Amino acid sequence: MKKLDRLTVGGLACLAVLVVFALGSLVGAGGDPDAIVGPRLQPPGPGWWLGTDNLGRSVLPRVMEGVGTTLLLSSVAVLVTAAVSATFGIVAGYRGGYLNELVMRLVEVLYSFPAIVLAILVAAVLGPGQTAALASIVLVTIPLMTRLVRAAAVAVSQRDYVTSAVISGARLPRVLGRHVLPNVAGTIAVQGTYALSVGIAVEGGLSFLGFGVQPPQASLGVLIQQGGTYMIAAPWLILGPGVVLVAAILAINVVGDGLRDRLEPRETRSLT
Amino acid sequence: MILELDGVTVTFTAGPPLRRIHLNAMKHVSLAVAEGETLGLVGESGSGKTTTSRVALGLQRPTSGTVRFDGRPFPKRRRELAGRMQAVLQHPHWSLNPRMRVGQSVAEPLTVLGRPAGDAVTEMLEHVGLEASFAGRYPHELSGGQRQRVSIARALVTRPAFIVFDEAVSALDVSVQVQILNLIKDLQAEYGFSALFISHDLGAVRYVADRIAVMRSGEVVETADTETFYTAPAHEYSKQLLEAL
Amino acid sequence: MSLLAVRNLVIDYAETRALDGADLDLARGETLGLVGESGSGKSTLGSAVGRLLPTTARRTEGEVLVAGEPVFDLPAREVRKLRKKHLGFVFQDPIASLDPTMRVGNQLRLVLGRGGDVRFHLGRVKLDDPRVLRAYPHQLSGGMAQRVAIAMAMATSPELLVADEPTAALDTQVREEVLNVVFSLAADAGTSILWLSHDLPAVARRCDQVAVMYGGRVVERGPAREVLGRPVHPYTAALAGSAPAAAGHGVRLEPVPGRPPVLTGPSPGCAFAPRCAFAEERCDHERPQPVLVREQEVLCHRAAELSEAETPREVTA
Repeated sequence: MKKLDRLTVGGLACLAVLVVFALGSLVGAGGDPDAIVGPRLQPPGPGWWLGTDNLGRSVLPRVMEGVGTTLLLSSVAVLVTAAVSATFGIVAGYRGGYLNELVMRLVEVLYSFPAIVLAILVAAVLGPGQTAALASIVLVTIPLMTRLVRAAAVAVSQRDYVTSAVISGARLPRVLGRHVLPNVAGTIAVQGTYALSVGIAVEGGLSFLGFGVQPPQASLGVLIQQGGTYMIAAPWLILGPGVVLVAAILAINVVGDGLRDRLEPRETRSLT
Repeated sequence: MILELDGVTVTFTAGPPLRRIHLNAMKHVSLAVAEGETLGLVGESGSGKTTTSRVALGLQRPTSGTVRFDGRPFPKRRRELAGRMQAVLQHPHWSLNPRMRVGQSVAEPLTVLGRPAGDAVTEMLEHVGLEASFAGRYPHELSGGQRQRVSIARALVTRPAFIVFDEAVSALDVSVQVQILNLIKDLQAEYGFSALFISHDLGAVRYVADRIAVMRSGEVVETADTETFYTAPAHEYSKQLLEAL
Repeated sequence: MSLLAVRNLVIDYAETRALDGADLDLARGETLGLVGESGSGKSTLGSAVGRLLPTTARRTEGEVLVAGEPVFDLPAREVRKLRKKHLGFVFQDPIASLDPTMRVGNQLRLVLGRGGDVRFHLGRVKLDDPRVLRAYPHQLSGGMAQRVAIAMAMATSPELLVADEPTAALDTQVREEVLNVVFSLAADAGTSILWLSHDLPAVARRCDQVAVMYGGRVVERGPAREVLGRPVHPYTAALAGSAPAAAGHGVRLEPVPGRPPVLTGPSPGCAFAPRCAFAEERCDHERPQPVLVREQEVLCHRAAELSEAETPREVTA
């Protein structure tokens, strides 16, 4: 096995810290996110390491809860995306023909909407909340992933081992499950990480606009939105969640790059 | 006759609906492979030999003409022929699924037929000159020649009556080519399968085939016994191929 | 003075030895075919000429002189200058050797500099089609991409063109055309060619000189017709006799048993000895030194006797 490069290791470490952070909030480390611990809008200090908010709640446990909410929401959404994209991408890529055309046209329509417009539309239909955030992330990340999985599946489908399996009489489920899927799994994993970072950004944006996760539950987007009101008076309110959001997206992208270098053969890589 | 192509034409269409282009990949091709015989098919890329191989394997339906396997017309469902015809294909790099162990790859034709593999895998590996321990390895641990040996083992495991070798040695080093060609000859003597051996390399085709058909621009321009291709083929194009050796 | 001189070059990778004391000479205007099977070290030698080896490679011994300049002992800036002035490279995978994010025309313009006539250079490789200029590399066929790569390599009329299996990834039909372009352009510009290939007969048809590699050394070199027609080294003889086309009707070729070695350090004797039908005791532990037989330089202890025996090939067939 090739050794991971330093950047990837750094990204993984950063992600691990964030996950520990999020898990910590489940067991109550850092304190109760909803408890009022002191005066309002206090700068960081003992008892409230990241300061307090406009209600006198400690920011640290709220950021921890927020990371958890955001990561969980995005991860679940990406799993849904991966399942849907893998199914349609592989079938379209292998079968070609009308099915392929249909899937690709649908994906293109979806792709033509700017992410945030799509998200707002979804929220308008479903009503603001976690479900809307989840559905938005799924719809925003599906087009790119489906396209890339399909491209990888087209390449794999033409390989001799697939032809050999067909000649031997293998049925469709076996060809797709045993031969195509394992060989596009790398693409799915790599795109999954990128989708995760997109998901985090979409959740942030949507909650910031008030269409996503609803207070009092904390998510990174909710925290940034609430902090925004007091940006001048209490910049630490926005700084904590903001830094964590940027760190999460950067770390995931770095890990994605590392994963891509390791898992994906050149030819299935997209140029951008 | 194990395989007969009778006046087979394959036309591909390409381009937008109103400016559609029709390409004849095969024009009235007639070929026959007798029991136990190796028919060599030689031609440049674009001559239609790949399409011919796909037709022979039932992967491509002819636009017109008939294909008969073992005296009967090709069944509607390819699967009915599963296990009775196999193929060894061009790229040693992609001939085996990189995510499957060699043993699983060799067993696959039996697995899809629902037959138990038993000792067949190790037996076949030994027949193609590989130790039984190869069954546990992954393709990336093998050289190009070893991978083609595995492909041959996989093709033979169901004891098919007919095998297509499509550019099966073209990507290998010269000395390895001869090893694989010798292996094919030996296995044929042992198992008695019929073969269609397709290559752009007249040297390799001549070495294994009993009869040779030469294709050019979708047509068979000459069919003759192999001996003819050592001395005096009739068609001008066959002569060119001979001179290029 | 020869244009290219490789002297006792030893290149090591982390765990394997790719070159084990290779020697090679190439005069100006000459074409040389470097023949060997996969793993023989020919690609490493080709890359070493321009010091284009991967970072894991280490030069342990020896030197490479291009136009008298020691490539491995020059500062990086000088090496770049030397490459630009004297060398052109064409690789196996043409599409990968072009920048995927840039249109072909722009890439050519970058290489040619201001005042370069892009159409003229594409015309020289028989690609004078405006669509090619606007295309991205992945939109070209392998043969077209390789011709673009050749146009770029030959644009500066280098003194030496290193072509590493330039046709290996191409369809057979296109191969001859691409080789024709390479050789005719080089002949016009007076460029020497170092052509890496595993196809001995093809090389012998086009090149003045042939060098055969085995186990990281050049085991036989000399005029192409001689090396192919009257090979002295048992390995060359085996290679020449192993092409299926070389067999008469009904004759069964017996390829040399065994596989090429993977070296981890210096080979104690002749690397071919374990597979050689003529090996003696000293072949196992004494490294052969070059012997001149007729016009061929051969690394074989028994070169002199084998060449007198006239046809060592008969014994291997």
